[in-house]
Amino acid sequence: MSARALRITLIVLTVIGLGVASYLTYVHYSGIQPVCTAGGNCLKVQTSIYSKLAGVPVALIGLIGYVVILASLLAPENETTRFATVAFTVVGFGFSAYLTYRELFSIHAICEWCASSAAIMTVLMCLAAWRFLRGEAIPTDASRTPTPTEAEGSEPAAPLGAAHS
Amino acid sequence: MSGSAEGDEEDLTRKQRREQARAQRKELEEAEAASAVRRTRLMQLGIVVVVVVVVIVGILVATSSSSKKGIPTSQKETNQTVAEVSSLVGGIQQNGNVLGDPKAPVTLQYFGDLECPICKDFTLGALPSIIQQWVKTGKLKIEYRSLETATREPEVFKTQQVAALAAGKQSKLWNFVELFYHEQGEENTGYVTESYLQGLAQQVPGLNLTKWASERSDTALAQQVTGDAEAASQNGFTGTPSFLIGKTGGAMKKLEYSSLTDPSSFNSAIEQLLKA
Repeated sequence: MSARALRITLIVLTVIGLGVASYLTYVHYSGIQPVCTAGGNCLKVQTSIYSKLAGVPVALIGLIGYVVILASLLAPENETTRFATVAFTVVGFGFSAYLTYRELFSIHAICEWCASSAAIMTVLMCLAAWRFLRGEAIPTDASRTPTPTEAEGSEPAAPLGAAHS
Repeated sequence: MSGSAEGDEEDLTRKQRREQARAQRKELEEAEAASAVRRTRLMQLGIVVVVVVVVIVGILVATSSSSKKGIPTSQKETNQTVAEVSSLVGGIQQNGNVLGDPKAPVTLQYFGDLECPICKDFTLGALPSIIQQWVKTGKLKIEYRSLETATREPEVFKTQQVAALAAGKQSKLWNFVELFYHEQGEENTGYVTESYLQGLAQQVPGLNLTKWASERSDTALAQQVTGDAEAASQNGFTGTPSFLIGKTGGAMKKLEYSSLTDPSSFNSAIEQLLKA
């Protein structure tokens, strides 16, 4: 997968996650019943004591998380922004894992909106980690392949990401 | 001539060898550099993962300890809880698992698990208002029914639900149930022990403990718990709290609620049934 295709995939997934988190935040503040095929399970999750963390609705925390991830993806791609994306998605994945644990073992109800957000976050984290670790080449002066003339007697091209690390 | 050609060939070969060696060195250096970068990235990723794991464990511990605060830690707190429960259900007619006038025109069936924290949210949230507005005025009666969700051990579930039903034999089920939810412990901590149940029973004002203890072995109560589970299954209930509502003696239908703390969904369902 090319760097561009990977970035677009990440952006699309983040926008979907952003939509889910926005809907859950709207449901939380408007007090309406979420559209849910699993009976009242979404409501149980949304109205449980675990739906807030330190007084902040977890749906809003998720929304902020997706906005931050999207910002890191829309920023010019370099080692730092790739690291930022993976760091934010790892945080998001950890938070989703905590919420899924609470759904399964404390609330005993699975909200499909929350589950879909957790699934999106998991895929986002895997893709972002892959993107960061492989360090796809960005055509900049420092990293482009030198011409045979340039290579002759010159220092080896700086490895990707060397400037950052 | 031939000597010069040989010299040229030799130079060329030497130059080629030099270039080859340089290329190999370059490849090696690049590979080492790439490997160093990969190690750095893995380390950075590892640090992030460790930090996130520490934070999540911290959140888990913090949220678990905050939800443990149901169990009163002092006699004063216990007395306050008992007084609160007595003022809510005291003076209301009780019969077995039913709270309210047996002739009340509307019946609400509440399917719950005593260890379920969401049931606690409802019991401490919307329920007091429903009791005040509808049960105390004789328009509604509420039946408490059992459905295992949060309790992990079926035997523990049966024991605790039967303990509540045994209090119902002395028309004290609702005191027992309310106290259980008020003092509910953290899930999966095994807090529901014999001494915990005994402690709750002792808090129920006027409960004859000897009679309660002997009635806990009544097989009819265990069958009642099983029957409730079957009724819940027939209605497609998989979570608690779940509710059925209807005219007393008539057909019951599922009650869809929009909040466990705001009683408006319950109020409008009751109002509709009273008008019908």
